[in-house]
Amino acid sequence: MRSTLSARSKQAWLYVAPALLLLTLFLFVPAALSIYYSLTDYNMLAPQAKTFIGLGNYFKLFGDPIFWKSVKNVGQFVLFVMPLQVGTALGLALIVHKQRPGNTFFKISFFAPVVVSLVVTSVLWLYILNPEQGLLNGILAQFGIKAQPFLTSPTQAMFAIIGISAWQGAGYQMLIFLAGLQNIPSDVYEAATIDGANKWERFIHITLPMLKPTSVMILTTTFIDAFKLIIQPMVMTQGGPMDSTITPVYYIYRTGFTDRSLGYASAMTMVYGLAIIIFTICQRKITGGDNNA
Amino acid sequence: MPNHNYKKMANTIISTILITLLALLFLFPLVWMLVSSMKPEAAIYKDIGGIKAFLPSFDIGSWGTAYRELLSRFNVFIYLLNSIFYGLSVTIGSIIVNSLAGYGFSKFRFRGRKMLFGLLLALLVIPGETIIIQKFQIVRSMGILNTPLAVIFPSLAAPFYIYMFKNFFDAISDDVIESAQLEGASMFTIYWRIMLPMAKPAIATVGTLSFIGSWNDYIWPLMVLTDSNRFPLQVAITNINNTQPVYMNQVMAILTISTIPLIIVYVFFQKYLVQGLGASGTGEK
Repeated sequence: MRSTLSARSKQAWLYVAPALLLLTLFLFVPAALSIYYSLTDYNMLAPQAKTFIGLGNYFKLFGDPIFWKSVKNVGQFVLFVMPLQVGTALGLALIVHKQRPGNTFFKISFFAPVVVSLVVTSVLWLYILNPEQGLLNGILAQFGIKAQPFLTSPTQAMFAIIGISAWQGAGYQMLIFLAGLQNIPSDVYEAATIDGANKWERFIHITLPMLKPTSVMILTTTFIDAFKLIIQPMVMTQGGPMDSTITPVYYIYRTGFTDRSLGYASAMTMVYGLAIIIFTICQRKITGGDNNA
Repeated sequence: MPNHNYKKMANTIISTILITLLALLFLFPLVWMLVSSMKPEAAIYKDIGGIKAFLPSFDIGSWGTAYRELLSRFNVFIYLLNSIFYGLSVTIGSIIVNSLAGYGFSKFRFRGRKMLFGLLLALLVIPGETIIIQKFQIVRSMGILNTPLAVIFPSLAAPFYIYMFKNFFDAISDDVIESAQLEGASMFTIYWRIMLPMAKPAIATVGTLSFIGSWNDYIWPLMVLTDSNRFPLQVAITNINNTQPVYMNQVMAILTISTIPLIIVYVFFQKYLVQGLGASGTGEK
């Protein structure tokens, strides 16, 4: 035996080193840097003038109306996109799970928007929702509905983004629900039918409980992903009108990258990033650790 | 009971019509995108509001006009090649880096292994989207801004993929390694000749997810690239959409062009996607 388990150990570092080095550089160090930067007034335009200002950025943040507006906006997004997208996904999965003519066509149709990137989705819908010459107002006019402002209205813009996001994402979760549905043994349904359970009773007492692990997984991952909303408002509304679609991640980007105020952006990263980390840890607890990746 | 049969048939017809309408709700934006890319600008506006908005023009010869005009104004081939280059580099790189690490954590016993792996899983909770500004600082101080390396390097290592590979290698018995060693194979030969070929399903899943992730990535390349000749398609799209004069049919053409390669990936690799389900809740990655 040339090599035993312990002799192999010296080589082990060669295998794990590339990944560890990259993760340290692009994940661990940036996270650690945000702690340090958040305590300074670092601005990329004047990097020499970096001074330690303690918790100054944090105090500023708690009095920043745009930050709180962004938190409120993303809260609205999460609150509406969750039931809309996940509910739609479940409905679609139930539709395509049942054998019927044209099933493949339906499945492909529902999944099609998933293939389209978020940037393509955002630009495409920008034209569909154009208030003057857009496709949707053209269709609405056929039904006698007057033209809507959509993305140009502070009250409608976020709802437009919610609808577009659900349109784009539901097909993906439909596939996960479908996999869950296919795992339910059919004899359970047969037994319930013999016992006289109708369609609705079978759905409530068999399908939903059996889908619970799948649903919890989908709901929690959607919940956390929804808090990271940035591309749709960035491409479609630039956070407007009247800051009605600005989100925390987008505000971090604008403050740190566009305005170059790295210190202040880092304080936001700390506060908002920590909130997401807490949510993620709660998610792990809820899903029972088997989904800990 | 003929009455019952009629009722059943009527139900089937009504539900099929409703489901078809629902399918059209998901399809109509994409049909409009494709059809509008094949029409003159004026015809798009003229057709809005009618069924013609979703039908191509009768003049087949004019279908490619917007594409030709787009290609004459912008280096679309360069953007396409850039996207393919970044996508393939990230795919191959992430398969190698993450499978090596997965192999290291699975088949070697070394001090601190458990702790390091735990730390790795802990890194998973850090929301990458919130630290892009600080990541930009790192890339800037490395002096690789505006190079392909800035796009590729940060996308390679991923704790989730290392975890996937480790799980896969864990399932392969140590006896395989020991008998190969008896025949004189080194640990690297075992990785390259035995373990990787056995991990094909994991490779396919990690590869597909990495490619799609890289192809759809927008904010990071937008931040680190300034030279438009290095732009991937996603960045080029918003660039084209903001370059005056903006023609709607040309915008629809670039949207269509940047979607076609992904359709191919989804058609050929969709079964591997199902194995990676749960990696992300929305289609974001």
